[in-house]
Amino acid sequence: MGQVAKAAESEVIRTDKLRKEFDGLVAVSGLNLRVGRGRLYGLIGPNGSGKTTAIKMLVGLLRPTSGTASVLGERVPVRKNIARVGYMPQEMAIYTDLTVHENIQLFGQLYSLSSESLERREKSLLKMVDLEDRSDSLISQLSGGMKHRVSLASALIHDPEVVFLDEPTVGVDPELRVGFWKYFSDLKSVGKTIILTTHYMDEAVRCDTVGMMRTGDLIGEGTPKQLMEATSTLDLESAFLAYARRSGE
Amino acid sequence: MKLGRVLAIARKNLRALRHDKRTVGFLVLMPLLMITIFGYTFGGDVKDLKVYLVNLDAAPSNESVSAAIINDLRTRETLDIRMVYGPEDIAIDPVSLVRQKVQDAEIWAAIVFGGTFTSDVEDAVAAIRGGSFSLPGTFAVYIDGTNPNIVAAIVNDLQKSVQKVLVSPPYGIVPPIAVTPDLVYGQGARFIDFFAPGVMGLAAMMVTFMLSIISFVHERSGSTLDRLLSTPVTEGEIVAGYALAFGLVALIQSVVILVTAVGLFQITIQGNLLLVLLMIFLFGVGSQGLGFVLSSVARTEFQAVQFMPIILFPSILLSGVFWPIEAVPMVLRPVSYFIPLTYAVEGLRSVMIRGWGLDGIWFQLLILLAFAVVMLLLSTWALKRRR
Repeated sequence: MGQVAKAAESEVIRTDKLRKEFDGLVAVSGLNLRVGRGRLYGLIGPNGSGKTTAIKMLVGLLRPTSGTASVLGERVPVRKNIARVGYMPQEMAIYTDLTVHENIQLFGQLYSLSSESLERREKSLLKMVDLEDRSDSLISQLSGGMKHRVSLASALIHDPEVVFLDEPTVGVDPELRVGFWKYFSDLKSVGKTIILTTHYMDEAVRCDTVGMMRTGDLIGEGTPKQLMEATSTLDLESAFLAYARRSGE
Repeated sequence: MKLGRVLAIARKNLRALRHDKRTVGFLVLMPLLMITIFGYTFGGDVKDLKVYLVNLDAAPSNESVSAAIINDLRTRETLDIRMVYGPEDIAIDPVSLVRQKVQDAEIWAAIVFGGTFTSDVEDAVAAIRGGSFSLPGTFAVYIDGTNPNIVAAIVNDLQKSVQKVLVSPPYGIVPPIAVTPDLVYGQGARFIDFFAPGVMGLAAMMVTFMLSIISFVHERSGSTLDRLLSTPVTEGEIVAGYALAFGLVALIQSVVILVTAVGLFQITIQGNLLLVLLMIFLFGVGSQGLGFVLSSVARTEFQAVQFMPIILFPSILLSGVFWPIEAVPMVLRPVSYFIPLTYAVEGLRSVMIRGWGLDGIWFQLLILLAFAVVMLLLSTWALKRRR
């Protein structure tokens, strides 16, 4: 196996000059992203910086205007490897008129899981999101944070290798948020690749790599430590502002 | 296409309904209400119309033609004869009085026989017998013409009574031409028999169309559609799952209508029930597909909901549910033939009233099949173009 092929294999996500315009409005402008296997990659940036659009292109919900993107070595929209990819959208992506159990069952069945493994996964995921006793509650009767947790559980039901999480910790109380991050690092330790967006800068420190997005492009990328050192700042928020100033010049 | 995923989508739609008791109530009650209300109102003839009479006929009552007509009218259920004024009431001017009653909408009609009515009739009868001519005897009928159905019912009954009196002794005048219809289909059929297939088609359409529009609006407004499309499920499987779920809803609903119509109104079903259900299923699949397509091409949810009246009104009015296509003005007739409900209703009637089989309704069945297939393809296309 050649050097190039090996690099491509460990590169789970790769985009080259990825661009998306909506009616002439540029949402993502020439994004070059590389995410290696087993990495926890955080995209941070203000609203409208193109994080969600980039993720939607990677999971095949939006067609790029130009440029290329591939996930697990397959060009998007991924079909062959789709069952190896998980996605949790930013907005409520579960059925409010179904119960917690029914939602998780539905998504498990769409991934053609056997009923035994589905049951096993459901049990452990509900435990992780601390909703074991709400399995038969209608989603519409749950609080905002609980809904978010169901959404996360249903995105992970098929034990995907690559997980895209769009703002996974919004509306989740601090205590549970710690639990979430613990779970993300557990996933990472068994070789899963996670790419998530967040606007909680303090959370992003827990990522292996942080990509700072502004007006549709990366303005800085590196480990949280590298980013802070390069800007002589003490937190990611200040680092982001320093990068933003630099890119604006 | 994987059956497991199609079933998962279908199950999701049905389960969502099951949790929504009010909607389930609506699904069952709406057609029940429709068939019951329409069945009772349209199904019966007009009855007990309040009528006043003025009989000034000078002939003695045992020879009076007016009295004979009035006696016959009393036997008819259409009219409720509340008051009969005679010559003895002349002081209160009964003719003006009853006309005023009609004008005040207190009664539907007033019938006035003049003083020479019997002698006029007898002169006319004698003239016919003698081969000459004399003016016929006439009586006045003042009717509130607000409702054409009521006018028709009153005039119809009056004509029947007049004829009956003339046919019987002492006159014995039998009309030289008799029209006797010999029904090829629908012997003993009442309006409700004609109406039930129409309601079934209409209910199937309304419910499946609205369900799919609303469900898909929900699918759009939450990110569940995005979520579905990021799983291995294909657009075709989503469309098939929707079709299966709502086609089934249409079936269940039509069974409710059939049971009600048979149980409550004793409608007769001449043909094959399976053929009826097959048509309902195909039509339900097509209608929900139409809702799905419109809902997914609409830019906003509000736009999607606006499609409901745009589709429902022409269908209700022009498809032959309430009155035959032949009653639709010529200008609009082509629209009727463009509406799938027209073929559903025609096909259902042919099976339920005429007792036709596949050989009689293959054309309607083919149209419904084409409607379903085209809508499913369009739905798939509409979903794909969203990416």
